[in-house]
Amino acid sequence: MDSGESSEESPAQAKKGKSKTPRKPKASVLKQKSPAEFFAENKNIAGFDNPGKSLYTTVRELVENALDSAESIAELPFVEVTIEEINRTAFNSMIGLIDRERIDEALYGDFETAKAREKRLAKEARFQETQAKNAALGKKVKEPTSGKAIKGRGEASFYRVTCKDNGRGMPHDDIPNMFGRVLSGTKYGLKQTRGKFGLGAKMALIWSKMSTGLPIEISSSMKNQNYTSFCRLDIDIHRNIPHIHLHEKRDDKEHWHGAEIQVVIEGNWTTYRSKILHYMRQMAVITPYAQFMFRFISNTSDKNVSIRFARRTDVMPAVPLETKYHPSAVDLLLIKRLIGETSKLNLLQFLQHEFVNIGKSHAERLIGEMGPDFSSKTPVKSLTSQQIVRIHQLFRQAKFDDPSGDCLSPAGEYNLRLGIIKELNPDMVATYTASAQVFEGHPFIVEAGVSLGGKDVKQGLNIFRFANRIPLLFEQGADVVTRTAMKRINWNSYKINQTQDKIGVFVSIVSTKIPFKGTGKEYIGDDISEIASAVKCCTQLKSKIVKRIQAREQQERKRNLSKYIADATGAIYGILKEASQLHANKKKRLEIKDEDAELLQKVSSRLITKEILSEKLAQHVEQVDYEMAMEYATQSGVREEPREDIYLQSLEPQMNFVDFHSPVFVFRLFQ
Amino acid sequence: MAEKRKRRRADSDSDDESVRLPFKNRLKPDAAILSILKTLTEATKSASTSKTLTLSDLDLSSTCREVTDLALSSVQTEIQTLAISLAKSILAGNGFSFSVPSRAATNQLYVPELDRIVLKDKSSIRPYASVSTVRKTTITTRILSLIHQLSLKNIHVTKRDLFYTDVKLFQDQTQSDAVLDDVSCILGCTRSSLNVVAAEKGVVVGRLIFSDNGDMIDCTKMGIGGKAIPPNIDRVGDMQSDALFILLVEKDAAYMRLAEDRFYNRFPCIIVTAKGQPDVATRLFLRKMKMELKLPVLALVDSDPYGLKILSVYGCGSKNMSYDSANLTTPDIKWLGIRPSDLDKYKIPEQCRLAMTEQDIKTGKDLLEEDFVKKNPGWVEELNLMVKTKQKAEIQALSTFGFQYLSEVYLPLKLQQQDWL
Repeated sequence: MDSGESSEESPAQAKKGKSKTPRKPKASVLKQKSPAEFFAENKNIAGFDNPGKSLYTTVRELVENALDSAESIAELPFVEVTIEEINRTAFNSMIGLIDRERIDEALYGDFETAKAREKRLAKEARFQETQAKNAALGKKVKEPTSGKAIKGRGEASFYRVTCKDNGRGMPHDDIPNMFGRVLSGTKYGLKQTRGKFGLGAKMALIWSKMSTGLPIEISSSMKNQNYTSFCRLDIDIHRNIPHIHLHEKRDDKEHWHGAEIQVVIEGNWTTYRSKILHYMRQMAVITPYAQFMFRFISNTSDKNVSIRFARRTDVMPAVPLETKYHPSAVDLLLIKRLIGETSKLNLLQFLQHEFVNIGKSHAERLIGEMGPDFSSKTPVKSLTSQQIVRIHQLFRQAKFDDPSGDCLSPAGEYNLRLGIIKELNPDMVATYTASAQVFEGHPFIVEAGVSLGGKDVKQGLNIFRFANRIPLLFEQGADVVTRTAMKRINWNSYKINQTQDKIGVFVSIVSTKIPFKGTGKEYIGDDISEIASAVKCCTQLKSKIVKRIQAREQQERKRNLSKYIADATGAIYGILKEASQLHANKKKRLEIKDEDAELLQKVSSRLITKEILSEKLAQHVEQVDYEMAMEYATQSGVREEPREDIYLQSLEPQMNFVDFHSPVFVFRLFQ
Repeated sequence: MAEKRKRRRADSDSDDESVRLPFKNRLKPDAAILSILKTLTEATKSASTSKTLTLSDLDLSSTCREVTDLALSSVQTEIQTLAISLAKSILAGNGFSFSVPSRAATNQLYVPELDRIVLKDKSSIRPYASVSTVRKTTITTRILSLIHQLSLKNIHVTKRDLFYTDVKLFQDQTQSDAVLDDVSCILGCTRSSLNVVAAEKGVVVGRLIFSDNGDMIDCTKMGIGGKAIPPNIDRVGDMQSDALFILLVEKDAAYMRLAEDRFYNRFPCIIVTAKGQPDVATRLFLRKMKMELKLPVLALVDSDPYGLKILSVYGCGSKNMSYDSANLTTPDIKWLGIRPSDLDKYKIPEQCRLAMTEQDIKTGKDLLEEDFVKKNPGWVEELNLMVKTKQKAEIQALSTFGFQYLSEVYLPLKLQQQDWL
């Protein structure tokens, strides 16, 4: 661990140093910092704030890479995540350290002084006393709180995180650079991807180096490749280059393609368990076409977790396309870079081919507007800095069509719906996809879903946020979706009770550039009005929701109406009975009409009973229900929701089964 | 230093009274104030001999709805007739429905001649066989049968009792309470004739003797707390009093001050409070006192929009109970204090005044639109002043000049100056 050295030289600067410039001017010596060093010092930027969050972020980065990889070759993703708890003894033996017994107990943080011991014993005695009292009184006995082990600083927990996918895999020779060099990546183009910065897997490696010192292990195989690459490496933080322990080709026996990454890190499963599980669940919601296998293995088997999120469809959203920049989304640097990279020779071609929404005639008009120094034939590489500034200015001021959302790949209403149904099992779902809109030259699409009811859903609003099809779990309160759902939507007008109904709100935003707020990719700010108003488009769901509620009312009307028959007729009959008794006993014929008196007499002679009233009322309800159903049918037509295909998961062929044959169908029982 | 302090003490000793209790020196002897009050009482007595107007006098009875006190037996008959018609309708296969007079704000009307809110004649049908009304209809039948039982047994229960007879159906008390008011409207009788009462809330103390269920109560001998106003007014009778006026107090704290200082012995009066928004029993009681004893009613409320609102509920009735406004309202209540103009007149220090919130100001402006405020130009002026200065003050603000300032200076002075609106 060398970080001690850097913090020694300028702790103040290390804290302040949020700027991305690797150079850090110092009073005497000019020093350079590698990107890897920078991120090691400021690991919270990438979501590695503490051991628990680091475990979560590691899982998240690996899963997202796996999905991106599988989707890039149009393969239905299959992702296996395993987290294995490693206790200290096992960890020590892994790194070849011998377990040492404590000799001087008082040296340690969790040493119990005589005084503390006395206190604890007294407390335990008191607890047992109340326990005995409670037991004597027949009260429920509380489980004795297992002596909370005070976790000293030395008692860190270590986890081996393994993530295996069926994606593209990596070219043998690129593997070291893909993992051992921060800020190198394949996803830098302008394209909707989950990852963006080429940071995720490397940060996991940096974290493992910081917390355990163990290298990362990668095996990968590509299609049509008859070997598996295996690589064990760590990173030279100071030089930002990979440090390879082992890099070899092995036989690929299973014809597997994809990548398997294994890293040992410090973490905290206890506190981040629910976050990780939520993440997996929400990921399953937004990617129902993927199959996830999540396992947690610990020393004590009762803490083990094993969840399979089954695939529910084989319809995958289209692969997002790499797109060109929109003129209003570029800055000076970017124009310069594009000029440097372009293969086009003259200005006209450059404008026409390197940007979206500039056609040939449009480009000519733009060049004419730039001034006499510019012409269509101007060689693009010869543009001066001033000329580039002029182009930039014009790009800012001129009007361009909005970029289309064609390059985006939203989850799709179908997938969103399926995901919601699959994971929440709600009573009702409505989904909506808005048309593409633009923020700062980047197109974005908002999809929204609202569900009512379901299992494991708490009362009130449950908000699920997705950005570029990854779930966002942290910083919920400040997010544009939360704010909109809580403040700007009048749930009453949907006939939804905001505090009592179990409402699920799902909003997924996809864009070539998601305007995340803050350092982590955790939330989207509420100050971007374009997105805020787009999110409010959920109100488009209103008619759907109201329609569904109506449909549900249709189904439940008879039940609701019948529910109160006994109460109502009971009350009426009660009055009649009392009245008839009065009428009969007192002979004090109240001023009632003859027919009314007749009715009362029928009541006393039990010709009219509560049952008869109930029966008559039930008949009436039935009739009304029938009439209203007819009315509803004529109003809404017989048109129903479009039928949806059911996805049946294919079974492995070697299953044993017994067939029960009937003339009409076969009933197959799998064993 | 020591000398200075001494002198200051000497100073404060000399005009102690006037500094601590400003305006005290302006007070005339009690006898003078009493004679002023006597003329007021005489005036009220002679004025109230003229017959009070009713809806039929104004030829509004066809378009407005009002309920009357019904005897128990007629309530019983009404319910029976209704039940028989419902049963007939069911047996004929038509289900059943109630025609419920609407108590919505749009169906309310302020009649300036009567100086109270009345209910217009719009009503809605509440059928059983409709998803939106089935629950309410069922609750209505249930409440009807419960009231029927009450009328048979001739007992009183509270609204809470009623709710607990079928918690599962009513779900929460607001539902059974609302339906109870509907039932009053359907049957065309007052809520008290249904034998359902609310819990005791109001208290009365002072120069009043009345009988409560046959027991004679002397309200001067009820200690400081006073006598709780009986929830059902039929128990109350034989009112006698030698008071010159009735003092209506908004707050419990001010009521306690006046009761403890035996204000009613210095100036013969009856002091009443409902501790905030008045309940039905207190309003009925106040009306009964006013009608039988023919005394002027002076109100002491906070100088904020809610004080005036409470005043209006006593005076013209609440929207919720407008169907029974004839029995619940007390005409001709004078606004004695604390009025916005008093804040400066009595030099209430800044630190005792509160800034009005946005909500307060809005309520104040809304009140300015209300008919019952508009008909009294003095009130409009005061309210305008309140909204303009954006200041409010509670009765307790007077305690800056000493806890007893209210009973010893402020009220006597107000009475002496005949400073009511």
